[in-house]
Amino acid sequence: MVEENKRYKAGILRSLWPHGFNIERYTYTLHRITGVILALYLIAHVFEIFHVALGPAAWQQTLQELGSLGIFEKIGLWIIAGSALYHGANGLRLILNEAFGMLLGKPVLPEYPYMPTSLSRSQKIAIYILTAIVVILWIWAGLYLLEGLGIV
Amino acid sequence: MKVRIRRFDGQKEWWQDYEVEAKPFTTILDILNYIRENLDHTLAYRHSCQMGSCGSCGVVINGKPALACQTRVGELKTDTLRIEPLYNYRVIRDLVVDLTDFVNKHRSVKPWMIRKNPQELEEAPSEFKVTPQQNLTFIQFDYCIMCGVCLAACPTVAIDPLFIGPQALAQAYRYIADPRDEGFEERIDVLDDSHGVWRCHFAGACSYVCPKGVDPAKAIQYLKKEILKFRLLRKRKKAVPPAEIVQKEPPPNAPKPPPFDFKFEGGVE
Amino acid sequence: MPGQYSLLKESWNMVLMYALALIMIFVLTFHLLLVSPLTGRTFDETLTYSFVLHNLTYYRIVFGILLYAAVIHGMNGLRIVLIEWLHVRRYQWAVNLLIVVLIAVLLALGTYTLIVL
Repeated sequence: MVEENKRYKAGILRSLWPHGFNIERYTYTLHRITGVILALYLIAHVFEIFHVALGPAAWQQTLQELGSLGIFEKIGLWIIAGSALYHGANGLRLILNEAFGMLLGKPVLPEYPYMPTSLSRSQKIAIYILTAIVVILWIWAGLYLLEGLGIV
Repeated sequence: MKVRIRRFDGQKEWWQDYEVEAKPFTTILDILNYIRENLDHTLAYRHSCQMGSCGSCGVVINGKPALACQTRVGELKTDTLRIEPLYNYRVIRDLVVDLTDFVNKHRSVKPWMIRKNPQELEEAPSEFKVTPQQNLTFIQFDYCIMCGVCLAACPTVAIDPLFIGPQALAQAYRYIADPRDEGFEERIDVLDDSHGVWRCHFAGACSYVCPKGVDPAKAIQYLKKEILKFRLLRKRKKAVPPAEIVQKEPPPNAPKPPPFDFKFEGGVE
Repeated sequence: MPGQYSLLKESWNMVLMYALALIMIFVLTFHLLLVSPLTGRTFDETLTYSFVLHNLTYYRIVFGILLYAAVIHGMNGLRIVLIEWLHVRRYQWAVNLLIVVLIAVLLALGTYTLIVL
């Protein structure tokens, strides 16, 4: 066997680029990206909330430094809200799939044209429903976030 | 029709264009054969049976891994064909990839029947019985032809070359789901490893590209469920009772089977 | 196959992730509802010091659960993403160490915030 780090590796772009594949692979890429966004935000968020413990002056200072009233920060928060919504909804579907073996269909005798049951009907319906819920809640969050700016 | 093929001669890679006449029902393998016979004798690719049962001719066609012999020009709906070697493998030459790791991964999950008492396999007096319903729980994953197309589609194999891969995991589940097999404890060390079943995040691309409808993604999710059941609840599927080594005496009043005297009637004198 | 990523067995690691994820679905929904229009405020008004302080003290236990679940789930997820990416032993140890330090720091900061208020 070849050394671990000397093997051929296609790379991270091949892993995250879902073009030409099924919809589940798009959800995989999105799940991964939103997860990283949320993890990075979580670090910043804990540090931010830590300033509450230092008193009202420190909190105001933090808010001003972050510029939480600006449009770019609002859009950033909107993306993070969308990430949380999507990651949660899709994560619930993945738990149903992986830990409970649901939405997969039973093993069947494969017949041409081969339609994998793990990617058909119930799976697709779950993805469409979760996408619809996420999009509706995300628009709602966007309207709410931009309310104070006088745009909406 | 314009055909672009990704070439590799050991040192450099390049795209080479060919002009080929193709009808809607021409397979990609026909095109490759035509190119090698008439246009370019140096083109290297694998093929054998030409009917989708040997699994040698896996290539990437217009960005989707598939068997060249089962893909027809008409179903692609493009004017330009883009043929590449399978993703996520080391390329040896042109469209030929190195399948050594792939085969070793398959071997590492022990894809054969394991009994706790090996004597049962050697000296079994009767068959291990499997009902049609039990057969249906694993027969789908038995159709694998080891073409390696699923590993080319898998996003985890692209970043983790040591990941066992959908093919081997599906085969592992095929034997774990088999009521005759008792090798779950022997396989779980490989499956529950850092490069094992938990590196799968259910992108489902393996099932999408599988040319035989094996649906490896389904097998892997069921495998995860089995492993969680085993770890959390210490439960696993019961194997069929072992075949009896010592044959029972038939009861004294049992009707005797009719003697075997077969006469071929109406035969030639 | 060589190379064990973590001290836990991989299946226990994933059980932890699933359990924390299921907890967070409820707790994080609650947390998001606290800064949503259902509070009758605009978003900027939910960021005032008095409102934040009231929430953090009144729902102290909920936020404590959320803090621990989110930090462990999030950092472990980040670790999985980073570690699947490169397979050099030294890099993987570095990532594991970094994540352990991050978890310790974040939990210390968060716990301090919740206790002091």
